[in-house]
Amino acid sequence: MSIDLKPLNYSPIKYFSALFLYLFISIFITNTYAAEGGPCKDYGECEEFKHSLTDMPSLQSGASTFMTYCYGCHSLQYSRWNRVSSDLEIPEEIFFNSLVFDPSIKPGDLMVGSMSKQDSAEWFGVAPPDLTLVTRLHGSDWVYTYLKAFYEDSSKQYGVNNLVYPGVAMPNVLAALQGNQQLVCKNVPVIASNGGEKRDDLGNTITEEKCGYLSVKEGTGVLNEQEFDKLIYDLTNFLTYVGDPDKIERERLGWYVVFFFIIFTALSSLLYREYQKDYH
Amino acid sequence: MSENLTKVFNWINHRLPVQNTFERHLSKHPVPKKVNFWYLFGALAAVVLVIQIVSGIWLIMLYSPGEGAFASIEYMMRDVDYGWLIRYMHTTGASMFFAVVYLHMFRGLLYGSYQKPRELVWIFGCTIYLAMMAEGFLGYVLPYGQMSYWGAQVIISLFGALPYIGESLELWIRGDYYISGITINRFFALHVVALPLVLIALVFLHLVALHEVGAGNPEGVDIEAHTDEDGVPLDSVPFFPYKVLNALVGIGVFLTVFAIIMFFFPEGGGYFIEYANYEEANPLVTPDHIAPVWYYSPYYSILRAVPDKLGGFAAMGAAVAIFFVVPWLDRSKVASIRYKGILSKIALVLFGISFLTLGYLGTVSVTEHRKTMSIICTFIYFSYFLLMPIYTSIEKTKPVPDRL
Repeated sequence: MSIDLKPLNYSPIKYFSALFLYLFISIFITNTYAAEGGPCKDYGECEEFKHSLTDMPSLQSGASTFMTYCYGCHSLQYSRWNRVSSDLEIPEEIFFNSLVFDPSIKPGDLMVGSMSKQDSAEWFGVAPPDLTLVTRLHGSDWVYTYLKAFYEDSSKQYGVNNLVYPGVAMPNVLAALQGNQQLVCKNVPVIASNGGEKRDDLGNTITEEKCGYLSVKEGTGVLNEQEFDKLIYDLTNFLTYVGDPDKIERERLGWYVVFFFIIFTALSSLLYREYQKDYH
Repeated sequence: MSENLTKVFNWINHRLPVQNTFERHLSKHPVPKKVNFWYLFGALAAVVLVIQIVSGIWLIMLYSPGEGAFASIEYMMRDVDYGWLIRYMHTTGASMFFAVVYLHMFRGLLYGSYQKPRELVWIFGCTIYLAMMAEGFLGYVLPYGQMSYWGAQVIISLFGALPYIGESLELWIRGDYYISGITINRFFALHVVALPLVLIALVFLHLVALHEVGAGNPEGVDIEAHTDEDGVPLDSVPFFPYKVLNALVGIGVFLTVFAIIMFFFPEGGGYFIEYANYEEANPLVTPDHIAPVWYYSPYYSILRAVPDKLGGFAAMGAAVAIFFVVPWLDRSKVASIRYKGILSKIALVLFGISFLTLGYLGTVSVTEHRKTMSIICTFIYFSYFLLMPIYTSIEKTKPVPDRL
């Protein structure tokens, strides 16, 4: 590339950097003025989820949780049984004996769910959505947070509500594992306008009662908090895999392709420089 | 052997102008010897066009239009070997196509590439851009996701705003009372046959017209003014190997970026593939926030900036149409921004800022503040063009050098 450096004063790069600078400023301004709720709604910021798509035990445990607790209502209709078993390195025999309970299912079938959409729409008011792409639609962070954000709410049909998805038409199927989660009030430090904690004249922190915190009633769940978090992590990890099953392979190939093009660029640049000598 | 080959070649050459055309338009075609990176985006656009056509052909083999469209996309993404590669190549290509074309167009404004005698080159280019917008829109509807459906709903309903014929026109476009498999089928036909034919024909005309008048340069110097005894401009080099090698470097950089996006960030943070499109179209559920893909967002902002639906549609159309008359709006004696006066420079910078800001605003939901901003930016956008005859004729320009 022959970037013309001589008339530097008029360099188009200058204009462009000015444009970008302005763009960032304007985005900053417009964002400050806009008070929009995040995707996790009443929960606030979604919890961060870092997938580990090469961690087979995690994916296998997620698949097992999914088949036990979710597949009764939710399908993975774009995914095939044998693809999951081979990607997750579960021998087909073990997979079909311990996770697939319907003998009429063939390995190459799609995971279309075990409940008819019509029936479930009648039972729940809305058919439980297919979850093949749920992590791509809402993001893994959202799914991870959502699954942990159920709380008891006697005003609702199933006795539960969800901070991430207020008014959701899904019962908390994992309640027996997690225990009874409720919204509680807590005394929390008052935050001053400068961002620090407010203190009284004696230096004690001033607190106020704030509500809307999730808390599990002790002794009501089969799993403790860490175990339950791990279960949800594995489940979300599995759903992240199902949403994008070729991600690992894609990125592996990507390195080779990018490397090839970098070499290609370098060589063609050297060749061009050599030829440029003809007329410079 | 080689003697026989020469014979065959001569036989063909006497009946078809192979050698002549090849030399005139490729190997010996004179190009300005000194240009900068802005002059690479045309070649890059050609590269993306090829990528889109080739990946598109493979997509047609795997995609089924109609109500099952969404499932057929997931089928190719999962069950077809390297189906994901073909599809991501096409989605990344769509965004990259617009990216390089926007930069290519900006180059035109920067260095006055539309000025005499290149008006037709510019007009063919604007028509390509228009055809691309239609092509991109039709293609975006094909996966039949939520955003495909509701985006199409918004765009098709714009035609409904036209007086008298609006409603029947809407029905005629959809082929149904709502967007359905029938609509998808016709959009598919237009996307894979009709518009590509138009695009290829226009690209051909764009290039033929360009080769007739020759490429411009960042100095705005007319290189045809100084030629050797054969009529070849002194400040030019033959297309092969010099321009080819120059372009090859650009293509290498471009394909590196392309591959990084395609393999590592195919969704482009929700800008290249919108997350809402991972849900199948559902006519009963409207998404909270309908946003076009990034390359239409400046025009979507203009549409939303005007309170009246028909007025918004007209403003959006005018914003694209106004590019066509730029050759006659620019009254400057010089072509390049390097020799234009301060007014042109300020105008171009403001235009660029307003375009980018409108683009950003088109992707987010409307608030009072954002609405005001989009009105201001729409105003600046149109002022750049409408005031061009004034500021280009009153400002003081610098003398253009004789040679490149």
